[in-house]
Amino acid sequence: MARRTHEDALGVVGAETIIGAGVIVHGELESQSDIMIDGQLEGNVTTSGDITIGVNARIKASIKGNNVTVAGQLKGNIEASGETSIRETGLVDGDITSAGLAISSGGQFSGRSRMHKDSKEA
Amino acid sequence: MYYYIVNPTAGHGQVKNLQDKLRARLDQLGIRGEWATTTGPGDATRLAKAAVASGHTTIVAVGGDDTVNEVINGIENDSTAIGIIPIGTANRVANQLGIITWPQACDALAARRLTPYSLIAAGQKFFLSTLTLGFETDLDKTVDMSAKGWRAKASQFAKSFGHATTYNSLKCKIEVDSKFTVNCDLFSLTVANQKFLNPLAENRLIIALSDRPNAKLKLGGLVWQTLRSGSRGTLEDTATTRFLADRVVIETEPPTGIMVDGKVAGRTPIAIRLTDRRVRFITEKIVADFKDAIGTRP
Repeated sequence: MARRTHEDALGVVGAETIIGAGVIVHGELESQSDIMIDGQLEGNVTTSGDITIGVNARIKASIKGNNVTVAGQLKGNIEASGETSIRETGLVDGDITSAGLAISSGGQFSGRSRMHKDSKEA
Repeated sequence: MYYYIVNPTAGHGQVKNLQDKLRARLDQLGIRGEWATTTGPGDATRLAKAAVASGHTTIVAVGGDDTVNEVINGIENDSTAIGIIPIGTANRVANQLGIITWPQACDALAARRLTPYSLIAAGQKFFLSTLTLGFETDLDKTVDMSAKGWRAKASQFAKSFGHATTYNSLKCKIEVDSKFTVNCDLFSLTVANQKFLNPLAENRLIIALSDRPNAKLKLGGLVWQTLRSGSRGTLEDTATTRFLADRVVIETEPPTGIMVDGKVAGRTPIAIRLTDRRVRFITEKIVADFKDAIGTRP
């Protein structure tokens, strides 16, 4: 893993909220900035920033954010004002509402997908 | 008017040798003021309270982190400015505010740049800088961290690494702002005011946790980082979990000691909250550095 920069150490760059592997969270996780989750979470996640669900993550929650990237397991709905991306190791069991959806080869999605009305104009 | 609270035992009593030079420099700068000397633990708090009551608007802690924390606990308004002349063994608070040497501290006092910080309350104690628990706190009890020189440092690292390999992680539960709970096996935990790390950030608690690295190389890296930071905590490089909050309640199994700026200050379970109580520090921090950091953000 690359060493974090001085700016990252100060929280100027990178996710403000990081939930590491081995950590279990219950409840409402809210932030005004980016969230990175690599542990277990049950509840809801809301932010105006981006959300990244890491390969080790096991999540049962509704996710609401800007761009959402899923590389782990998510059971719950995604509401993204930006794009949703399901990576090779990602698994989503729930509905997705976003401006765009990308699923990498190997990524799994079970649910309904709905695009924002204004996403074409964008 | 400036009021100097001097801890004569700070930094192995080095103030004795410095006193004449220090007073001369303060005279030159026109900020000599009144001097008081502490006689024991808790005295700086009492002196700070008395100084504020008698109308002093600037209280200067001449000592290390212990003296600074005692002064903070004696000031209950946000109109008094606090300055630091760092002559202690540990000067983490001063260093974090950009003040490294006593001559520089004198110039900073004269320049009087003020930055307000919210204090953190841990139980009944107030503090500004960093609270730690877990491995670092345990390490402080078992390894002499004050020794200097490369041989002593090598010995510290060897002992610390040995301790790390046998240290049992704590079962930890953290309730955050009554909104969510965090459960984990905890190797070390650090709580600080994020504004203390970045003066442009808002006053909020930043909580950083590290779990136990599996690989010996990573464990060695974590121990090295801990020794390098000198109980400043693992906020910077080694945290695996990090979040912001206004109030946290920390429980551990088994209960364990907590340290504030390198000094034992209580045990778990403990509630830690950001308070409305603000102090204005005379600081050297160059805000432009942080603006540049934001400016270079990709």
